[in-house]
Amino acid sequence: MKKSFYLICFCLSFVYQGFAQVPIPVAAQSSPILLKGGTAHLGNGQVIQNSLIAFDKGKLTAVQAASTSMDEAGFQVIDITGKHVYPGFILPNSKMGLKEVSSVKAMTDSRERGTINPNIRSVISYNTDSEFIPTMRFNGILLAESTPEGGTISGTSSVMEMEGWNWEDAAHTVDVGIHLNWPNRISRTFDFATFTRKEAPNKNYQKNIDGLKDHFAATKAYMAAPSKIANVKLASMEGLFDGSKRLFLHADSPKEIVESVRFMQQQGVKHITLLTDESALYVADFLKENNIPVILPQTQRVPDRSHQAVDLPYELPHLLTEAGLTVSLSHQGMESQARNLAFYAGTAVAYGMDKEEALKTITSNTAKALGIDKRVGTLEVGKDATLFVSAGDALDYKGNILSHAFISGKLVVLPNKQQELFERFSTKYGHE
Amino acid sequence: MKKIQLLLLFCCLSILAVAQETFPRNDVQDTRMGAYAFTNATIVVDENTTIEKGTLLIKEGKIQAVGNNVSIPKGYTSIDLTGKHIYPSLIDLQTHYGMPEVKRATRNRGASEQIQSKTAGAYNANEAIKAHIKGSEVFKIDKKAAGTMRKSGFGTVLTYHPDGFARGTGAVVTLAESNENKVLLKNAASAHYSFSKGSSGQTFPVSRMGHIALLRQTYLDAKWFGSQSTRPFADQSLEAFISSQNLPQFFEAGDWMNVLRADKLGDEFGVQYIISGETDAYQRIQEIKNSRATMIIPVNFPKANDVEDPFDAEKVSYKDMLHWELAPTNAGVLAKNGVRFALTSDGLGKGDNFMANVRKAIKNGLAEKDALKALTTTPASILGMSNQIGSLKKGSHANFLITNGNLFKDKTVIHENWIQGHPYRLSPLTKKDFNGEYALKINGQSYRLEVSGGAKSPKAKIIVDDTTNISVKAKFSEELITLSFQPEKKAKGKIRLSGWTESDGWKGQGQLVDGSWVNWTANSKKAATKKEDGKKDKKKKEEADAPMGQVTFPFKAFGTTTLPSQKTYLIKNATVWTNEADGVIENADVLIRNGKIAQVGKNLSASGATEIDGTGKHVTAGIIDEHTHIGASAINDVATNSSMVRIGDVVDSEDDDIYRALAGGVTAAQILHGSANPVGGQSALIKMRWGASPEEMKIKNAPGFIKFALGENVKRSRSSNSIRFPQTRMGVEQVFVDGFTNALEYEKKWKTYLKLSEKDKAKTIAPRRDLVHETMLEIIKKERFISCHSYVQSEINMLMHVADQFNFNINTFTHILEGYKVADKMKAHGAGASTFSDWWNYKWEVRYAIPYNATIMHNEGVVTAINSDDRNIGRRLNQEAAKSIKYGGMGEEDALKMVTLNPAKLLHLDDRMGSIKVGKDADVVLWTDNPLSVYARADKTFIDGKIYFDIAEDKARRATLQKERARLIQKMNAAKKSGAPMKKGGSKMKMEFHCNSILGEETEHEH
Repeated sequence: MKKSFYLICFCLSFVYQGFAQVPIPVAAQSSPILLKGGTAHLGNGQVIQNSLIAFDKGKLTAVQAASTSMDEAGFQVIDITGKHVYPGFILPNSKMGLKEVSSVKAMTDSRERGTINPNIRSVISYNTDSEFIPTMRFNGILLAESTPEGGTISGTSSVMEMEGWNWEDAAHTVDVGIHLNWPNRISRTFDFATFTRKEAPNKNYQKNIDGLKDHFAATKAYMAAPSKIANVKLASMEGLFDGSKRLFLHADSPKEIVESVRFMQQQGVKHITLLTDESALYVADFLKENNIPVILPQTQRVPDRSHQAVDLPYELPHLLTEAGLTVSLSHQGMESQARNLAFYAGTAVAYGMDKEEALKTITSNTAKALGIDKRVGTLEVGKDATLFVSAGDALDYKGNILSHAFISGKLVVLPNKQQELFERFSTKYGHE
Repeated sequence: MKKIQLLLLFCCLSILAVAQETFPRNDVQDTRMGAYAFTNATIVVDENTTIEKGTLLIKEGKIQAVGNNVSIPKGYTSIDLTGKHIYPSLIDLQTHYGMPEVKRATRNRGASEQIQSKTAGAYNANEAIKAHIKGSEVFKIDKKAAGTMRKSGFGTVLTYHPDGFARGTGAVVTLAESNENKVLLKNAASAHYSFSKGSSGQTFPVSRMGHIALLRQTYLDAKWFGSQSTRPFADQSLEAFISSQNLPQFFEAGDWMNVLRADKLGDEFGVQYIISGETDAYQRIQEIKNSRATMIIPVNFPKANDVEDPFDAEKVSYKDMLHWELAPTNAGVLAKNGVRFALTSDGLGKGDNFMANVRKAIKNGLAEKDALKALTTTPASILGMSNQIGSLKKGSHANFLITNGNLFKDKTVIHENWIQGHPYRLSPLTKKDFNGEYALKINGQSYRLEVSGGAKSPKAKIIVDDTTNISVKAKFSEELITLSFQPEKKAKGKIRLSGWTESDGWKGQGQLVDGSWVNWTANSKKAATKKEDGKKDKKKKEEADAPMGQVTFPFKAFGTTTLPSQKTYLIKNATVWTNEADGVIENADVLIRNGKIAQVGKNLSASGATEIDGTGKHVTAGIIDEHTHIGASAINDVATNSSMVRIGDVVDSEDDDIYRALAGGVTAAQILHGSANPVGGQSALIKMRWGASPEEMKIKNAPGFIKFALGENVKRSRSSNSIRFPQTRMGVEQVFVDGFTNALEYEKKWKTYLKLSEKDKAKTIAPRRDLVHETMLEIIKKERFISCHSYVQSEINMLMHVADQFNFNINTFTHILEGYKVADKMKAHGAGASTFSDWWNYKWEVRYAIPYNATIMHNEGVVTAINSDDRNIGRRLNQEAAKSIKYGGMGEEDALKMVTLNPAKLLHLDDRMGSIKVGKDADVVLWTDNPLSVYARADKTFIDGKIYFDIAEDKARRATLQKERARLIQKMNAAKKSGAPMKKGGSKMKMEFHCNSILGEETEHEH
């Protein structure tokens, strides 16, 4: 049944063009659409059991209970009774479009040389033909932050829609923020003879911070100077101070978190989002007082230290949410696995979090952390019609089966090379 | 020039009667008797015999007599040792004293492999087999090192060249400085082995299991080689290896796990090694005791961590904290358990004090008698030299210590260390105690001078009044004194005095601040009072009485002092996924008894059973991971055909990930060798028996498995400088064909030999045993099964053809990401599959991997499992299985079987595991929810009917852990306050192994 469904999707939606191609992007929304009868998870904690979700020209026009009647005239009505509708999941801090087969250097565009690279921009490298993209949206990820990595200031990221002919077309929010890796107080060395990791104080810690200080000072001097020698590195920093760019601050230990946040505040950086891990637990109050949203790595990982509770990574989103923080989830490591984002939130539910609260960690909280919450992250009138319909609970393996996904109102193609191969070989073997 | 003359003079004086007559002389003859009588001493002859007010006679470097009624012959120099003790000087069996430095070979990242030995000459095929090195031939007196060791009380050491796995012979030498000919007491005293590659640049072996395999093959080679009167070729290493077998065999092993590995290796070849361990043997004392090995144990106790800052303290592991506290109990625990051991100073750094650490061990439970034994008679007897060293018996070398009291008391000083009848003076026999108050008069001015610190470290100050002192820089000797101090704050310099001792003080000359010369005197007034001693003693006693931590199994966080035991459990009213014809039964009960599943059904009852309410919960068979790399100390060795290495040799029962796996419902796993080579090593099949020893982790009577691998990893795709064969998939096939072909030839040779009559056998040389051929032959004979790392369809197809050619089956293709393309062929061949749920595109050969792979293979009738190859995935395999419901619509029961029954089938363990069936092992998980849901948690995990994980118990362990850490942090802080040396930084952490993780080589996370 399901296989033939994918086959039909293939036949109807595009002419199959061969393996190396991703599904063809679709045209902009041409007529208003109404999703009728589904359970709507708004992404802000609310659920509408029997809902009406309407959108036109790529924007949501109605989000309401079916009990409140609505004129359906002119709408393409899709009955989704028994199904669930969610705002598109958002994947922050990803290498989407920059990294394909990570073991092949020619296919990797995520790390520029040098240490201070605020002027390096991910958007122009973003490859809409990345084979990862259709597999992301197949699981409900409809937006991803495409992020440079490495160095102290890795570069400037952009939020991309998981569909588009080219990067201009796919761009959702260009140059959303700058990623900065705060220096480590501890330098870790790896002994390959014994496969053990050793930690020692980083002798260059202060020197590294001084380097950052110099860079920020130079930026401010540059901004204030009435006449100046043009400098792209310094100019690209300016958005941090007028609030047009966020600072994505990566810091790995409680002390580094406090020091780095204080540093950025003293420098006058307007919006800070922290990317960290269990370390946030030790300074949760500090983060709450300073109103810093936190992006965590996946819940599905092992604790870093042997005396940490076995469940700590699973529980972390719950513990930090209880502490009053705005928590969202990301994925680190093998790029292909980022498609499991929804299940990372599901895991948090198994370890204490409310389901709708967990949904926030991959929708509205992420939108806040990226500073794009005015447009996406929840199902609210006026926001982008970036949403999907799932047969069941999209946070659980069995339920995360999408029938429709809309990006800014466009009904995108879900099946891709992987479903095609499934179909091809099932047919070869004569499986039903 | 003058110095040299003095030195020469000293050397000449030290020549005793037994000086070598063969040496050229550059002076008149000056041979002396070296006859001394030490009288009125407390003589500790050995740990059992002490003579009070005794006499010791020595002559020509040997002990002539010892006892109470010894008359002193004429011609002996008499030395009165009233109040002094004499001990036999100490012996250290674990030294590299006087040996040339060994430079470890380092291989740069991505450098070419070194396949052959580069040792010049006719030596062993592996550079690290250095059995031909004779310690006595490369030994050279090292005066500095000798001085350091003598200070610690040592007189004799066993020294050897610490290079390679077989290290040649050791020599017994004294720490005298005369010359090599004199100090060498025993030439080939011992044979030495280790798990350290040393200077060898040869690539193989890189792992502990490779070290063991190489040593095993060397024993076999030696036997074969030695059986031929006309040797088949020259190999001076093997010759030496053979000829040193009758010597005491010493193995430098390391931590307790390696001690057990060394002992096991020895057992195979009938060798009982004397094994050098570390300070951690107490952590597994039962296994250490059962090994029956004589141990050599260091006293290099770990330093406390700086845990003042709570954030920084988080970086320190509980294991390190607890070991810091308990390491000093090590020797005491060994003694109490009847383990024979010697102590060594090995491992101590600069500034560490050997005797202070021995005393620490004594404060932590080691009896003084046992300490002395471990430093004298035990090492002497290990060397078979009890009549020469280790005690003060007549005829022994005159190697002894003169101390001012009990050697093991804190303030005892070693005055002299006599070696072979020659004294090495460390601190004067008589040293005046100047403690007291003196009236210091300088040029009419009077001061109150106070001297304290006793004979050992006298210091002085001037008392102005009750609260004010003037510090005085003072230097004391028997006859002379130097003092300097600033008479008052405003003074622009110091008064400097120099003088000599008088009956009740000193007098002398000095210069005032202004440079004018004056006379001075200092006369004794009264003894200075001792203060605060009582208080200190009380504090010390409190410290000693404070509770100590307990040894847990494993020795780390979440370990336990009491291992789980088998009980009768009745799980009531749960949803039971049987994996059998009964399918999923609602509201059912499962009875567990004697470690087995005793009954499955509704409304069961059993007397004496502990009932567990399963309402709303689910019961499944324990999860089995077909492919893991947790629980091992090494994963890859690097020979193209590494079939001789065995993961079973390096099971690491102390891996945190075992407990984490339990918390995810995992009960058993195959630890596979990695994918660095076409033929990898042999697997270990284990159950997650957290707290068990490495041997107890293993599944008894499990069938043999071996790792094969194909594709990018084995052809070293990521290393552009690699020269190792093969470099293409074409070459990979030939490795297999060649390996199996040779194995058959090997079998033929042995068959021919074994067919011979006993008479003919005696005349014929038995073929050489070869561990590689033997393993390959096991595969052909279907006694060992292949789990093959594989990705693309061409190579999967190829390997099945190779197996067909040699008439056996490939048991399992693991990873098998393109299995869906050849599922029909796999089915026809009879191969099973163990795959990732949804990994793809992380390297070139997996760009066609699809998450429907498991479903297609399953639909085609291939026995399919989902594996982890990753510790994170490994602890939620039930969820990975659930992905096949999403991708391809697999049924729930079939999905669950992919991580329970199917891997059991692939591992040939399905007769005892994999389903909820009466008679099978009670490896059972109680889940909080449908086990295929992301919301399910393992509530309880049973193995063999014992509860190894329980959510409630886990909570209790967290609380205990927090308390214990807090206690140890306080204790470390107290140590810091009392000035103990501290360690900065956090604990070392063992990192995760992946398929391609090679020790000593940098690898990127890949699979």
